[in-house]
Amino acid sequence: MNKIESPEESRKLLDKIFKDLTRSIVKKDELTRFWFFILLMFIGVGLWGWIIQVDRGLGVTGMRDYVSWGIYIANFVFFVAVSLIGFLLSSAMHLLKIDWVKPVSRVAEQIAIAAVGLAGIIIVMDMGRPDRLLNVFLHGRFASPIVWDLTVVTTYLTISVLLFYIPLIPDLALLRDRLGSQVPKWQLKVYSILSLGWKGNPKQFKTVYHAMRVLMILIIPVGLSIHTVTSWLFASTLRAGWDSTIFGPYFVAGAFVAGTAAVIIVMYVYRVRHGLKDYFEDKHFNQMGKLLVFVSLLYLYFNVNEFLVPGYKMKLAEGIHLSNLFAGDYAPMFWFAQIFGLFIPIILLLFKFFRKPLPITIISAFVLVSAWFKRYIIVIPTEEHPFLPIQNVPENFHHYAPTSIEIMIMLFSFFAAIFIISVLSKLFPVITIWEYAEEKGIDKKYLSETPKN
Amino acid sequence: MYKRINLFIAVLFVLPAFQVIGQDWVVPAENSAIENPQEYTLKNVKLGKDLYMVNCKSCHGDPGKNNPLPLVPVPPDVVSDQMQSNSVGDLYYKMSIGKGAMPQFETTISEDNRWRIVNFIMNYNSNRKQLLEDKPPVKAQLLASINEDDGTVNVFAEYEDKGGDYSKLVDVPVIFSLKKTFGNLELGECITNENGRSDFIIPGSLIGNEEGFVTIVVSLGEDYEAKDVILENAKICMSKEVPKLIRQGVIWSTNDNLPMWLLLSYIGMVGGAWLAIGYVVFQIIKIRKYSKE
Ligand code: HEC
Repeated sequence: MNKIESPEESRKLLDKIFKDLTRSIVKKDELTRFWFFILLMFIGVGLWGWIIQVDRGLGVTGMRDYVSWGIYIANFVFFVAVSLIGFLLSSAMHLLKIDWVKPVSRVAEQIAIAAVGLAGIIIVMDMGRPDRLLNVFLHGRFASPIVWDLTVVTTYLTISVLLFYIPLIPDLALLRDRLGSQVPKWQLKVYSILSLGWKGNPKQFKTVYHAMRVLMILIIPVGLSIHTVTSWLFASTLRAGWDSTIFGPYFVAGAFVAGTAAVIIVMYVYRVRHGLKDYFEDKHFNQMGKLLVFVSLLYLYFNVNEFLVPGYKMKLAEGIHLSNLFAGDYAPMFWFAQIFGLFIPIILLLFKFFRKPLPITIISAFVLVSAWFKRYIIVIPTEEHPFLPIQNVPENFHHYAPTSIEIMIMLFSFFAAIFIISVLSKLFPVITIWEYAEEKGIDKKYLSETPKN
Repeated sequence: MYKRINLFIAVLFVLPAFQVIGQDWVVPAENSAIENPQEYTLKNVKLGKDLYMVNCKSCHGDPGKNNPLPLVPVPPDVVSDQMQSNSVGDLYYKMSIGKGAMPQFETTISEDNRWRIVNFIMNYNSNRKQLLEDKPPVKAQLLASINEDDGTVNVFAEYEDKGGDYSKLVDVPVIFSLKKTFGNLELGECITNENGRSDFIIPGSLIGNEEGFVTIVVSLGEDYEAKDVILENAKICMSKEVPKLIRQGVIWSTNDNLPMWLLLSYIGMVGGAWLAIGYVVFQIIKIRKYSKE
């Protein structure tokens, strides 16, 4: 970036950046209110479904003795997968000094917080007796992947929140100093508490950089663990379709695909809704498109291994499971997920035209929906073929289909995740102002100046 | 139409039967004349009875009860004249070779055993002394106690005589068995002495349950109507070694079986991560402190 010499120019540019990036915060219009109303309404409906479930027990779901993990767990895996993008974009690519990723990394971090938070909540919603949640901690077995998963989800959530928060501190100070009467008093109060009385002296900046670096390095093993351990929930069993040695990397690769798609969608929404054309540029979408192709190819490679190798051998139980996926009851879902979530996106995104904002967002929507169905296919079909004789059981034990209560709760989780992202974008800038300004060549000293109104 | 087919099928099946009836079952003279190499003793008759019960009863029915399977021709009752008019050699020949619905036993029952069955059939022959009598079971009583120190079971048996008094049962087999989940396992038998008593030594190699307990059932043979004595929880044998159902190191086992390396890696990794998080939180505090400078 070419350095801007004149202080006047610097101040003007900073003002512009600040104005653009806080537009989402100060904007008060009908559409925003309507949006939050819709979100809260769906959240309310979902919670109502959950209250019914707590009241009447898990019998209101489609889960029975054999299929005891339904769409809740599929959803959980989906959210854990989506959350992993935070680790890829805001840490790994940062450490690799890939510059274009900087504005995107905040979006990734928002998504990570929302997704991993909901992953935790959905687990509680899958419990028949959520009041006994504490027992998992009190009497958990350290040899159980479920306890590992619980630990790693909480750890990842904490790190994600910190990684969201720490780079935000200088921005919070900016918001505190500059927003004035544009936002309600309590909001200013929140900014001033969270900004820790930030002065912007070099020591503080040094500490922020240092803390960010520690977190970025820390999040790599934790991020890898969160999804690897989630895959172990399945892979540590002997069940056909789960008993796989490549489940860890298979899940991680799949997570990158789902997360990248989610980030692209949210980026597009910000770009259009908050007029951030100059911030989420075509170049970012182009790069994200290339990233999506890359991780999709990686995922394709793991898919080939995961399905072709057992499909070549067709061992007894595995064979039943696979023919069910390839040509049986689950074939439509399976091929939809593979074709619309993997093959077609890879081919289309090779062309520059499809990496333009709108086309890539549409493709990403397909990828994300397919990613959800893929998780469904990973979790449920295996359970319909236990290594136990299924005899003399009621008909509805044989097959699983989600009930309306389950779908209500699933919708709750989606809308709650979108709600968290919306709230984060309503309270905090979607790109860190100070980092962006610095990149544009504005010296740090202008940040701490209070503008004359 | 259907009637015709039915008739046709019936004829098809019955015809060969008529053919068989038509011919008499002739035994070659030299076979007919063979004498029974097995002695006509109670023991052999009894063995023959056991074999008969297993191999022949299903078709020929119980001796004297006239309850054969309705085949064509009807398998004759053991006590019937038709059966008893056979010579010893005839019986042996006929059961060895078979005819029509009567199977051939030459290949399935050994020569000795076939002759023992012949002895059993001859038990109902009017020219012979009946060795094995089918009398109604006698009412009897059985007392048994266990001596855990030397591993013996002491029994005393008595029966109800005609006058309704009980007197000791002499020279009668008492059967000892082990109660298992699916029926009883016979250990052996012993014969009561002149005092109606007998001792049975439980084999030392017997394996009980996890605590070494077994349940012993003492009973009289089928000639007597007596309640079995069930000696529960006798500690007279080795205890069964039960393999731990949850093997060590299995990932879903209990906390007690948690391998040390797993616990240490868990604590190490989680502890490491949270230490680093704590360090970052400490940095946040530092940022706050620097604002006051
Ligand atoms: C599948 C049924 C069946 C079984 C089992 C069977 N029998 Fe027969 N047995 C018959 C029939 C039917 C006949 C009549 C055969 C005939 O006269 O054509 C017969 C005839 C006989 C006869 C000849 C009677 C006579 O007319 O002189 C003898 C002896 C005999 N069985 C002995 C035995 C013995 C001993 C056994 C056991 C080892 C035995 N059977 C098992 C069906 C059976």
